[in-house]
Amino acid sequence: MYSASLFSQSKIANNILNIESKKRAEIFKEETNFRKAQHYFEVNNWDSTLVYSMRHLSISSNKELNDYCHYFRGFTFHKKKLFKEAKLELNLISKKFIFYPLANKTLGEISMQLKEFKKAIEYFSQIENPSITNKQGFKASTIYQNIGTCYLHLNQFEKAEEYLFKSKNLKEKENDNGSLLNLYINIANLYYVQYKDEQAFPYFEKSYLLSKKVNDFNKKWDASLNMAVVEENRGNYKKALEYRKEAEQWNDSLNNQNKVWAVADYEKKFAVAQKQKQIKVLEVENQLKNTQRNSLFFSAIGLLILLTGGVYMYTQKAKSAKTILIQRNKLDQLNANKDQLFSIVSHDLRSSVNALKTSNSKLSDSLQTKNYEELNQLITQNSSIANDTYSLLDNLLHWAMLQTKQLYFHKESVHLYSIVQQIEYNYKSLLQEKEIRFENVVPKNIFLFVDLDSLKIIFRNLLDNAIKFSKHNDEIRFYTAEINSEFCQIIIEDSGIGMSQNTISELLQDSETLVKKNNSEIIGTGLGLQLCKQMTAKNGGTLSIQSEINKGTKIILTFSKITKNG
Amino acid sequence: MDNINVLIIEDTPEQSDALIKVLLENNYTVVGVARNFTDALKLFYENTIDIIIIDVFLDGKPDGITFAESINIIPNASKPFVFLTSSKDRQIFERAKLTKPFSFLMKPFNELEILYAIEMAVEKFYEQTNVFLGEEQDTVISDDHLFIKKKNALKKVSINDILYIEVEERYCNIITEKEKFVILISLTKISDLLDKNKFIKTHRNTIVNADKIEEIILADNLIILKGNHKINLSDTYKDFIKKMNILS
Repeated sequence: MYSASLFSQSKIANNILNIESKKRAEIFKEETNFRKAQHYFEVNNWDSTLVYSMRHLSISSNKELNDYCHYFRGFTFHKKKLFKEAKLELNLISKKFIFYPLANKTLGEISMQLKEFKKAIEYFSQIENPSITNKQGFKASTIYQNIGTCYLHLNQFEKAEEYLFKSKNLKEKENDNGSLLNLYINIANLYYVQYKDEQAFPYFEKSYLLSKKVNDFNKKWDASLNMAVVEENRGNYKKALEYRKEAEQWNDSLNNQNKVWAVADYEKKFAVAQKQKQIKVLEVENQLKNTQRNSLFFSAIGLLILLTGGVYMYTQKAKSAKTILIQRNKLDQLNANKDQLFSIVSHDLRSSVNALKTSNSKLSDSLQTKNYEELNQLITQNSSIANDTYSLLDNLLHWAMLQTKQLYFHKESVHLYSIVQQIEYNYKSLLQEKEIRFENVVPKNIFLFVDLDSLKIIFRNLLDNAIKFSKHNDEIRFYTAEINSEFCQIIIEDSGIGMSQNTISELLQDSETLVKKNNSEIIGTGLGLQLCKQMTAKNGGTLSIQSEINKGTKIILTFSKITKNG
Repeated sequence: MDNINVLIIEDTPEQSDALIKVLLENNYTVVGVARNFTDALKLFYENTIDIIIIDVFLDGKPDGITFAESINIIPNASKPFVFLTSSKDRQIFERAKLTKPFSFLMKPFNELEILYAIEMAVEKFYEQTNVFLGEEQDTVISDDHLFIKKKNALKKVSINDILYIEVEERYCNIITEKEKFVILISLTKISDLLDKNKFIKTHRNTIVNADKIEEIILADNLIILKGNHKINLSDTYKDFIKKMNILS
């Protein structure tokens, strides 16, 4: 029935060691592994201590630090109950190490654990001197107790008694109830195993009384159980029963405590799980928030795009509406022009045909009265009216085709002199009738690069106009003036009635409105000159007018000509 | 010099009569007047034709163009065309344009316009433009004829009838078996246009039709042509003899 507590632990023993090792760590700052090992040793993180001390040992050759490390490792292995390894490590410590006694102490404790009590006594006896123990940060009382315990196990009771009492004397001053309790139990056991029950009993009692002061259920249980056994042996069953009951109670408490711990552990786990859940909920919430934020963001962007699109569309629409308005105005004007043209043309046609009609009735009258002299004159008149009407209609047709872009247009080499001759050929009779001199002084080697038919239309109209605005015995001339190798000027000059600067600018206006001429006798639409202007432009030429009233008019045309090689 | 043979394809008698009147007045020969497409083809194949005047519309259909198109398909049969039309309709013109070369005459037309259109048609067809109305040349040369402008009208001379050509400054004297006349053309131009194997330079201003050579007397540097025309042979140009097939 030996007590379970064979020796006393020495937790505080390391205080001085810790301080010293920390100092070393600070001195050797570059030895990070040592520093870490020291740190973990101090906070009792045994695994990390092992790792870093091993790292330190494998790199460093600093003996002092290595000794520390060996000690750390030895102590740690001891703590982890790896006694063999602990012994090996501790044996590696050099004897010069300041804390060598500490190593001895640990070795002794290991030996005790391994029940090698003699060895243990050897180790302990090396360090039992109080002068050593105080410097090393552990108590001589502990060593004495350990030695005593060892002797107790070796059944050397006298020695055991000696040491235990040495320890008792010291410990009673130290006021350490826990270890004192252990000591009392050990002493009690010492007497008890020698069957000195009378001597043992007071120590059991003492330990029992002391156990009331400590909180350790284990010790309480021990003490009360010991009392129960002792009382039983003394035959005092009633008391023994009481102590048993108390022991049971403490045992239950112990169990309870275990249960409480288990419950606490469970609660902890539960709390952790709860927290985990909360975290998850929070995460989900966060995600939700994120998605909400994203959707909000995208919808905002969508709205923005919609808005800009709307604004763009609106401006586009406004713009197109504006263009449409402008186009409509232009169309209205064009339509008005067309209407005007229609009315003028139909008016002209109407008067021409009317003249023809009256002339024809006159003609038949003359035939009936056989007035042959007048007949001839009437026929000439008729044919001139017909000619005028024809050229008007011809112009109208070309105008229409030009407007609708149906006109065939093909530029080629055109012999200017021949064309002037061809045009003049049709007006020969008219010229003769009006006694107008016509001169074609165009050089015969000029070839223009133009569309033949449009050139003819231009010349026809210009000659027609020239004749129309000329008086008897006037003169019309076609001649050229070369500008450069690429262009040629053709001038149609008459000595007719001419026109004012106003009329010229009206005629040359770019607008497509037609000018109603003021000359009441000679009615025209201005269509002819408009046609000339447009045809000239289409041929890449220019048209300008110089005129003086009663002196005559010059129409100046410019066209590109064919340049002959050689 | 011969007259130019003209074929008229025109369905309206007034129009064709007006044309004939002008053509005859200007010493053209009117080979015939076709009123429709079939007649036109018949007349075209039965006669020697130099120029064809075609009305675009025959009886309301654009058969004139069809005729030109069908003539154009046959190799070497095509002749210079003059299209008569009263409309400037773009579609018709675009179609007629495909039968290049072409010349247009718009109705109503006067005498000068007819003659001008015919000349243009010949120039364009033989790709020698600005000839008849220019001041440097009055002759268009085809493979077998010279087309020469005499006063207002064109005349033709068969190249096979030419004995030799004598150059005098800007003019050339053309000597045939029957006649002798002057045309306005430069020596370089005429020698470019004539077949070089047929017409041989024997002197710096003489070109001889090799087919007409009767005898070459090297000792006297003399060539004797048909009709007993004697031509001087210059040493510089003797080389041509080597190329000739001399009977031995």
